[in-house]
Amino acid sequence: MSTGELKKSKESSNSPSGSYGYYVYCICEKLPAEKLTHEPLPAAIDEKAKLEVIMREDLAGIVSAVPLSVFGEDALQERLTDAAWTAVKAMRHEQVVEHFAKQTSVVPLRFGTIYLERSGIEEMLDEKREQLSATLKRLQGHEEWGVNVYSDRDALLENITTVSPRLREMSEAAQKAPPGQSYLLQKKIDALRTDEVKVEVVRIADEIEKSLHDRSDGSVKLKILKVETTEHGELKAKFAFLVNKEKFAAFRDGAEELARRFEDSGIKIELTGPWPAYNFATL
Amino acid sequence: MSSPFDQMIVGSDGELAEEAQLSLLETLDHVLNRGLVIAGEITIAVADVDLIFVGLNVMVSSVETAQEVLRNRERNAVKALTPPESQ
Repeated sequence: MSTGELKKSKESSNSPSGSYGYYVYCICEKLPAEKLTHEPLPAAIDEKAKLEVIMREDLAGIVSAVPLSVFGEDALQERLTDAAWTAVKAMRHEQVVEHFAKQTSVVPLRFGTIYLERSGIEEMLDEKREQLSATLKRLQGHEEWGVNVYSDRDALLENITTVSPRLREMSEAAQKAPPGQSYLLQKKIDALRTDEVKVEVVRIADEIEKSLHDRSDGSVKLKILKVETTEHGELKAKFAFLVNKEKFAAFRDGAEELARRFEDSGIKIELTGPWPAYNFATL
Repeated sequence: MSSPFDQMIVGSDGELAEEAQLSLLETLDHVLNRGLVIAGEITIAVADVDLIFVGLNVMVSSVETAQEVLRNRERNAVKALTPPESQ
């Protein structure tokens, strides 16, 4: 296959000019991309189109044609208000990226990156070739894992006198103190409970981040979405870690150890993944 | 001792719906909010995934493609998180 200009697909060349754009899912190296296109491919974001590979030198962009009547700027913004439509399209984006990410390192693009012409993608690949290649090299052999930290407030509140070093000390003192002094100390402890719960959640989340950061090749603290309250409790912190595939067992052991350590404090840890390196694909 | 994550990832039948929703939310968060932003001719900024999620809650079960993808994800996750000795 030629590395330079590829033939235009039938779909795009037959359509009136300007009515189709190209949706870009991810960028990877040319050789693995070529190999992976011989396997059965997942559905494209617009089901009538097929996935295509745009190759420039040693890079490949994974793309598919999208009708601008749906994926044009205004039309797309409008469609995004339809949650079910957006969910399906986002899932297709993910499935395409995962198809390539399971075998090679990829730079996943954010949802909704669309070019009006193939040449726009070729130019982008040329312009950013060095940075893209460096990022792909850095991500090689790695995958992203998500860690969510939940707190069961009631459980933590109940156990706070053993979890918080400060309150633990005070309550030990209260036990040894004469009745009058003990009563006063106990009142002071009760007044501090709620504040200490907040302090401890932050401290534990920090400890989880630091501890897992040491077993990974990078970490990012993520913004928490409003909707993320589940049966596990309230979501208090959310991290992404870049983990070397060969060191995943150690990473998981570390997460399990932390999960067991903080279980009784009402803190739950959830591990999600493996993800393509969405949070680490920076240029 | 079994992994504290097994239950969260695999779930019993009763928990699957909750898990599926969580995975969908995680996926939406990744795809819509993360990933490299390259200036295409059209670049859509999804301002608020929370907004997209409003009303999606129970709909998940009726979105066929979403379910299919989630099943794939679940399989991967289970494979990755089941320690060999407990298989």
